[in-house]
Amino acid sequence: MPPRTPTLIQLVGLGVTLGAVGVFSWFTLGQLSGLKRLGSDIVDRNRRDSLQLIRIQSNLTELGLAMRDMAEGTEPYPLTGYKPEFDRIKGDLEDALRIEARLMPATRTSAQQKLLEDAFGRFWGETSELWELAAEGKDKEAKALIRTRLEAERATMTTVIARLLVQNNEAEAAAVEEIQGIHSKVERNLYVLLAAVLAAIAITGVLVIWHDRRMFEQVSQLSEHRKDLAGKIITVQEDVFRTLARELHDEFGQVLTALGMMLMRIEKKLPEGTDGRADLKEVREIANHTLERVRGMSQMLHPPVLDDYGLEKSIEWYLRQFEKQTGLKVRYEKIGIGPWIGDSVAIHAYRILQESLNNVVRHARVNEAWVRVRYAPDRFEMEVEDHGPGLPETLPAPGLGLIGMRERAEMLKGSIEFTRPPEGGTKVSLSVPLVKTGDPA
Amino acid sequence: MRRRDFLMGVPGLLHGQAGGGLGFRLMDVTKQAGIEFVHNSGAFGKKYLPETLGPGCAFFDYDGDGWQDILLVNSMDWPGQKRKRSTPALYRNNRNGTFTDVTKQAGLDIEMYGLGVAVGDYNNDGHPDVFISCLGQSRLFQNTGRGTFIDVTAKSGLSGHDGFSTSAMWVDYDRDGLLDLFVTNYVRWTREGDIFCSFDGKIKSYCTPEAYRGATCWLFRNKGDGTFEDVTAKAGLLDTTSKSLGVALLDYGNDGWPDLFVANDTQPNKLYRNQKDGTFSEVAVRAGLAFSEDGRARAGMGVDVADLENSGLSSIIVTNFDNEMMGLYRGTKSGAFVDHAPKAGIGQATRRSLGFGCFFFDADLDGQLDLLIVNGHIDESISRARHDVTYAQPPHLFLNEGSGRFRDVAKLAGQEFSTPKVARGAAYGDFDNDGDLDVLITTNNGPAYLYRNDVTDGNRSVRVRLTGTKSNRDAIGAVVKFEAGELSGMRTVKSGSSYLSQSELPVTIGLGRREAVDKLVVMWPSGRTEEYRGLKAGRRYEVVEGKGITS
Repeated sequence: MPPRTPTLIQLVGLGVTLGAVGVFSWFTLGQLSGLKRLGSDIVDRNRRDSLQLIRIQSNLTELGLAMRDMAEGTEPYPLTGYKPEFDRIKGDLEDALRIEARLMPATRTSAQQKLLEDAFGRFWGETSELWELAAEGKDKEAKALIRTRLEAERATMTTVIARLLVQNNEAEAAAVEEIQGIHSKVERNLYVLLAAVLAAIAITGVLVIWHDRRMFEQVSQLSEHRKDLAGKIITVQEDVFRTLARELHDEFGQVLTALGMMLMRIEKKLPEGTDGRADLKEVREIANHTLERVRGMSQMLHPPVLDDYGLEKSIEWYLRQFEKQTGLKVRYEKIGIGPWIGDSVAIHAYRILQESLNNVVRHARVNEAWVRVRYAPDRFEMEVEDHGPGLPETLPAPGLGLIGMRERAEMLKGSIEFTRPPEGGTKVSLSVPLVKTGDPA
Repeated sequence: MRRRDFLMGVPGLLHGQAGGGLGFRLMDVTKQAGIEFVHNSGAFGKKYLPETLGPGCAFFDYDGDGWQDILLVNSMDWPGQKRKRSTPALYRNNRNGTFTDVTKQAGLDIEMYGLGVAVGDYNNDGHPDVFISCLGQSRLFQNTGRGTFIDVTAKSGLSGHDGFSTSAMWVDYDRDGLLDLFVTNYVRWTREGDIFCSFDGKIKSYCTPEAYRGATCWLFRNKGDGTFEDVTAKAGLLDTTSKSLGVALLDYGNDGWPDLFVANDTQPNKLYRNQKDGTFSEVAVRAGLAFSEDGRARAGMGVDVADLENSGLSSIIVTNFDNEMMGLYRGTKSGAFVDHAPKAGIGQATRRSLGFGCFFFDADLDGQLDLLIVNGHIDESISRARHDVTYAQPPHLFLNEGSGRFRDVAKLAGQEFSTPKVARGAAYGDFDNDGDLDVLITTNNGPAYLYRNDVTDGNRSVRVRLTGTKSNRDAIGAVVKFEAGELSGMRTVKSGSSYLSQSELPVTIGLGRREAVDKLVVMWPSGRTEEYRGLKAGRRYEVVEGKGITS
């Protein structure tokens, strides 16, 4: 089953987070605007209304004081003298009542409003009666009117106003409570949002990490497989080459040698100068030539010098062979004395050298190359350098040669680098650790 | 520092040597003038409300010698707490910078719980009479013309009016040529009904008037036969909610009929507009004078009115409590007043002052009216409750800088002048007849102060004393308009104003360095208008209605 991509999960997580933030913001804004509306509509309005009610109450108190003064007769003035004061208070009261009616809260019932208006209406009606009595000099009746009905009406109005004030206060308290409720709701929502966002982030994060790990494991597993496979392929290839080389050398070599000897013996039995002898000689030369070819092929497949003399000698032998075959001048430098580097390391180093030099011949179109080897007790290093055009910036498709070199270097737990020397061209640098006892594995 | 302040500061710096560059100084001459008066509030620890309010003072020429004399009102010990005898004090001007205490000779050595004073020749006999407002029954003293006064309270029909009377004002409200009397009352207070007030809940302090019920002002109509009639109710002035401390005369509608402005403490101020039929209608709310600009009733104390810009529109100063700022209400053509104090540079400067006496006067004789405000808290323990407010407070002397702006120069006018005081009353008058206006200040339960004004930069004035014939003899309510070169202005002859006090009646016209008043127009209360020309600087003129300049 192909591994699921984490992108989807990440997108879902992001979506959930953004969605939560969006929903919460919308909700909070809604709540806040509700708060604002409550604040301005109910609380502020209520307060302004209350101020007017207090103004009315203060006027009623003033009226009460004036009425008391009138009833008690403390001032040496006729009762009509109070009319301007009454008129002034009435003017202010009516102004206050007008404003109050505009501000009155929705909780006010029409019955209450009517009660208020009726009380004021009755009061002013009786006040006119009062001024009539006072004008006629009927002070006793006027004072009685004040003490009884006027004062009663005033008391009623005071009570009504007081009740309205209480109502306003209650409405305000309710509004404040509602505001507090909204506050705590918003707060709670904030916590919920925080928790949701955190959870979304955590889940997304965990999922992504888990997927990354799985992917990484799969990749490294694949890489291991591939490495194993490549190693096996190379090993098998080398085994085949070696077997083939031995077969060629041992079987075909023996057969061809024997064939040559037998042909020579037969040839010697034939008189000189005869056609048969000449033909036989020709056959024998073909056999010898074939033997040479078989030997050469055997050596190419797996030079026996590797098994017999180790890497150091094999390199030197190969370089001589290479120069001879290609005419390319190889400048060889060697640092240190090579320890015995046996077959399993040697064959791969040898193949890398072979491949590198073959690449020089194939692509570099130069007549000079440098090979430097350095032997350290625990490390073998080799550089193959040419000053040709170098590797193209981007290889059309990584050549099998380069991949093979890498695989081999990896099999040796070493490293291989392809660089461009300052003079241009290509430098292949191989570095391979050596196990002290000699042969690494 | 703003550019204008900077520019205006430069001449001040250049003239820095003389009187702070003001061109005048206010010198404390109390002692050398022989004024030894000390107010006795009667305070003995119970902190009765009336103790904090007094006293008032007056400049007036009681003996008609052309030199301003001084009357200082006194309160007294409470019954049962008798420690000493205290009476008002009358100081006769010796015409040499000193005064003689003539209280006894004048027959004014009478104990009373006096608070304010108003001076007016109510019987038109040429001798100014004295009304002293009191806690209890106020007193009217008739000037006999022989250097003595007789108490005519009962005879004049003013008795039977027990009150808590504060400022008083003579005014011919019905324009019959007879001065009528307007008396403000504070609250309904009695010793028995005294209320415990406290800043800290432990120690008693003086109450604000909120604790007590208001009291109506009184208007007494002069019947012309030496008696008065209480027309408070008839005139539509009965108002038992007011808690009044100050009263001033103004002509709100420019109709020649005197209107009344009453400053109320913690209650809306009142503006009584003369209906020309013996009644008044109250229009303060409409006129924008009842409240502060933010709609609160402030603690109105003293008040004065003047046409500051020669525009025919009055400006009104009202002194208020600390943290309220003084109100400088400036008239507009629409008839509504606007509190101009913050813009005029007075608001912020007076924020911490509890103002009482106040008046517009031309301190430096430059032809522009300046403003004096005296201050002092009501309770000596105030600094314990409020750290930014003190009991004794320095006065403000706002110099008119033109274009509606004022600058407090009290400190520059003299160190003695600007010392903190618990001031109450304030009046101006030219006691040394040198043409500039001297200042009299009273303090609560303390001495009175006389400050001689020394104009040092050569500014001069024309002084005019008006005598009515058809109008009331004191010509109270007369308007004097003058022109001197490009300078023009308007002054009113008035009683009342300030706080519990009365300034001199002659009109002083500051001319700066100008030589003369080119044109002087007198609009008499009777309705008659007279015009005079070429009044020379440095001189004093007597103008008699219908007769012209007599000396």
